Amino acid sequence: MIWLTWRQFRAQAITAAAALAAFAILLAATGPHLASLYSTSKITSCHGLACQPAANAFFGQLAGLDTVVYLLGIGVILVAPAIIGIFWGAPLIARELETRTFNLAWTQGVTRAQWLAVKLALTGLAAMAVTEALSLIYSWWADPISKAIGVSNSGPQLFSQGQFSSVIFASHGITPLGYAAFAFALGTAAGALIRRALPAMAITLAIFAAVQLAMPLLVRPHLVSPSHTTTSIYASDLVYGSLTADVVPGHPSAWILSSQALNAAGETVTTIPAACDNANPSGEKGGTSAITPAQCMQSRGYREAISYVPTSRYWSLQWVETGIFLALALALAYFSVWRLGRRRI
Amino acid sequence: MIEFHLDARSGVAPYMQLIHQVRQALRLGLLHEGDQLPKVKDVVAGLAINPNTVLKAYRELEYEGLVAARPGIGTFVTGTLDVVPQAAHQPLRRDLQRWLSKARRAGLDDESIEALFASTFRSASEEDIA
Amino acid sequence: MSAVIEADRLGKRYRRQWALSDCTLSIPAGHVVGLVGPNGAGKTTLLNLAVGLLAPDAGTIEVLGGIPAAGRAELSRVGFLAQDSPAYAGLSVADHLELGAHLNRGWDAGLARGRVERLDLDPRQKAGTLSGGQRAQLALTLAIAKRPELLILDEPVASLDPLARREFLQDLMEAAAEQELSVVLSSHLIADLERVCDYLIVLVGSRVRVAGPVEELLATHHRLSGPRRDPATLPDGLEVISASHTDVQTTLLARTSGPVLDPAWTVSQVGLEDLVLAYMSQGAGRRRRDNHHLEVQK
Repeated sequence: MIWLTWRQFRAQAITAAAALAAFAILLAATGPHLASLYSTSKITSCHGLACQPAANAFFGQLAGLDTVVYLLGIGVILVAPAIIGIFWGAPLIARELETRTFNLAWTQGVTRAQWLAVKLALTGLAAMAVTEALSLIYSWWADPISKAIGVSNSGPQLFSQGQFSSVIFASHGITPLGYAAFAFALGTAAGALIRRALPAMAITLAIFAAVQLAMPLLVRPHLVSPSHTTTSIYASDLVYGSLTADVVPGHPSAWILSSQALNAAGETVTTIPAACDNANPSGEKGGTSAITPAQCMQSRGYREAISYVPTSRYWSLQWVETGIFLALALALAYFSVWRLGRRRI
Repeated sequence: MIEFHLDARSGVAPYMQLIHQVRQALRLGLLHEGDQLPKVKDVVAGLAINPNTVLKAYRELEYEGLVAARPGIGTFVTGTLDVVPQAAHQPLRRDLQRWLSKARRAGLDDESIEALFASTFRSASEEDIA
Repeated sequence: MSAVIEADRLGKRYRRQWALSDCTLSIPAGHVVGLVGPNGAGKTTLLNLAVGLLAPDAGTIEVLGGIPAAGRAELSRVGFLAQDSPAYAGLSVADHLELGAHLNRGWDAGLARGRVERLDLDPRQKAGTLSGGQRAQLALTLAIAKRPELLILDEPVASLDPLARREFLQDLMEAAAEQELSVVLSSHLIADLERVCDYLIVLVGSRVRVAGPVEELLATHHRLSGPRRDPATLPDGLEVISASHTDVQTTLLARTSGPVLDPAWTVSQVGLEDLVLAYMSQGAGRRRRDNHHLEVQK
């Protein structure tokens, strides 16, 4: 059964290996240059506020190719599970049913359950391995950029995505492995249910895309219990007219889940109080524009309440999310085996 | 080794056709005592017929004492069929000629004579074997 | 002799319709069994149930004393050839033999290779480019080389030209003789099966109409013709399968439990094809139109 799984998977395996090799070569060609840029930059030896200009200098030195590879890599890793789900998962059972070769496969010496279990296990492992390999190679390559982003608070837009941002979180660490397993199992289950490869491929893509969009927005924020802190209102909180913080004091690169300004009584406020608003002076005695709105609010007892996930919880979050997707994958795999066993063809 | 053939339209059961062909071969001297009959699997491979048909024919021949099966080896000729000597043909020929004139006097034409002979011969043969 | 296939009130439903209903069979071992019936009668359903590709909705089926495809042991004892001999188009002939070797414990590699050589098949040729006859022979090789006790074939020669058909049946019979196989093969053409079958099952309208050894069926079914009779006045012990009447003559095809003594009847033998056709027309509910005697010109 192992031989048959390999023989039927051979073409797809070679394509995947070739893609992986091409990706690796591209990254190997540009990686050292990136690493040397980083090691000669001042980021390695900077402290505190000096890091921002060092980081900006580093970003400025990046070649156009580096930027392209940076973005391409993320794209490839995000798209890989979907491709695996469509081309490896959906046809697994559906093709066998469409071409009627199940008449041959299921009347030899292995039961249906054995047939499917081996195929799911081996192809699923391959799916996870390929996607995770892409992710690891890419993480190695992008490490200098990740570190630079880590010390910078207000770099160029392109490099402002920290490790908790949706696309970065989904393309680094071990989450790609979970997505690949899930997409593959989803494809297989769709094929078992719909019994035709093309519609199964479409459904798999649709559901996987929906899940990948919903995950960071609806689910991820609730996966680990956040830390809370109440801090003074800094000038940066008032940028853009909103009263939300974009950095947690003492926890750079933390993931801010929610942030709101509270008045002295503990109630949420969403606008700068009239008494502190420079644009609308209300004639308060002594209220000249010598103090900033932030200082004004601070003196009136206004605080900022922030709910956030610190970087120390990064790996917990990774494991929980990956665990969820692996559990979903197992459930879908079990469903496929059960569905096939009902013997309705 | 003799080779069997089958006439699917003759109305004679396949196993009987095989029996007849063995007896024919014995009479014509194509088969001698000690010769091996074709293996069952070779017969069915050549004719695309049921193996039980061949087995039944060989069993019948064994019952008649003409062949004997040696398990694992094959089926071999053990008996002989009396070859009717020419001398016995003459009186039979005369009888037949007499019968033929009787049939013509009764009004039978050629076709009727052939039909009468064929059906009588067939039913007589079946009674013989049964 | 033990039964290779035992079915007790077996039934299979697709949504609302019963593809097979109330099927009770006890097929003895050591025979080549022909399963005959019109298209859509349920032959493929019955065979799929026998190899475990389908599970019953009613009744039970036992093959070689076990539940079909329940485990490796049951699977290894039965070989199957589906309609149109499906094969993996992208895999070569040699790959298919590898498949057989890896998936079957009792695989006879020498037998498989020998057959492929004798059939002049190129081991490297992809199965997708083989002709229908070659694919059927490849499928037969796979089924035989796993050394089963029972071989089940679904319309194996339906789409083959006469030469390929003859060669296929020759090879099938040779394997049956050599390995002492029981064989069940289905067809909608009795002519294909007449030469090779010694046990017959007629399936019409998802029901079994008649089942038994060919010899016995031919001995107990006769054609009776005689003067025109009212159906109510037919003698006892006669099960009429089909009847046709002209204004002066009645012709019956009947199953007789004993000799027909009434001298008014002319009794004659029935060929297998006519016997099957009679059951098929009975089962389909078609009544043969009364033949109108030609006007005699005075």
